[in-house]
Amino acid sequence: MDNQFIFQYSWDILPKKWVHKMKRSEHGNRFYTNTDNLFPLLCFLKWHTYTRVQVLIDICGVDYPSRKRRFEVVYNLLSTRYNARIRVQTSADEVTRISSVVSLFPSAGWWEREVWDMFGLSFINHPDLRRILTDYGFEGHPLRKDFPLSGYVEVRYDDPEKRVVSEPIEMTQEFRYFDFASPWEQRSDG
Amino acid sequence: MFLRSILRGGRGTMMMAAGKVKETTGIVGLEVVPNAREVLIDLYTKTLKEIEAVPADEGYRKAVESFTKHRLQICQEESDWEEIEKKIGCGQVEELIEEAQDELKLIDKLVEWDPWGVPDDYECEVIEDDTPIPQHVPRHKPVKLPEEFYNTMEAVSSKPVIEEKKIEEPTPQLKS
Repeated sequence: MDNQFIFQYSWDILPKKWVHKMKRSEHGNRFYTNTDNLFPLLCFLKWHTYTRVQVLIDICGVDYPSRKRRFEVVYNLLSTRYNARIRVQTSADEVTRISSVVSLFPSAGWWEREVWDMFGLSFINHPDLRRILTDYGFEGHPLRKDFPLSGYVEVRYDDPEKRVVSEPIEMTQEFRYFDFASPWEQRSDG
Repeated sequence: MFLRSILRGGRGTMMMAAGKVKETTGIVGLEVVPNAREVLIDLYTKTLKEIEAVPADEGYRKAVESFTKHRLQICQEESDWEEIEKKIGCGQVEELIEEAQDELKLIDKLVEWDPWGVPDDYECEVIEDDTPIPQHVPRHKPVKLPEEFYNTMEAVSSKPVIEEKKIEEPTPQLKS
């Protein structure tokens, strides 16, 4: 209940230019904003006396390939003083660079590295933007929707060369897509 | 430092001076500020001065003026930090000092960015989703918000109080 008060209050207080969509729901309140206004918005939410959101819980990326600005970056924030959670979402395409929020929330460092590694969204002013989850020398951004499930390369230990080599993938069984109309086995009789 | 207070048998808290001396804030990394009241009054007066750079009909200015005036009034009336903490109801005086400093920083940045005013073709999509959370999902017990918060929310939706100043200097604000 009080979560809604804080959300309503922050909606009234914010400069309206920054937010172009908002969703109020018991399941999570969100603000949608542009990449230019993201940093000011988070500054505001962090420093203002009655919204004190000083904890950044998570930054995630989402890929919607059908949209023009295909990626959406979601910032989950928590205010420990007022026990309120707020979500801030921006949309970006492959070449947009988003300003990093590391100066406000130091924990954003690794989250943004993950978004860079998995989706290919780069951040301006990030102190150390490099891969964090994929293998050294890995090419591609795995969590994009056009990246196949099994990837493009496989690794194996090569005895003559005495090191691990990457080779194009060889699957013995081709990828099966289970998308039948009914969950039960289709029988001809009956 | 804690050992000494334990060994003294908690004698530090039994000083019969006019105001009890605060031993510790209980929060790691937050030092006790002995002259908290003066610091707070100083910060709040500075805030009230700085906020005048924001246009008068903005909800932000109304809210900041409302709660800053309220807190300043309490600080000026009460001389004891404990009374101030109890009346404002928003945590310890050191936390209040931090909040006031952050607010000053924020006003500074907002004056720099200048995001006020709504463009004519502005439309905002508001989605209200009232699906209830299922009963079995655990929820936090709501935290009691300080009373001042509700007053501030009312102040935000009310008309600006300082009408005369607005008439005196309307155009320079819009032009800048």
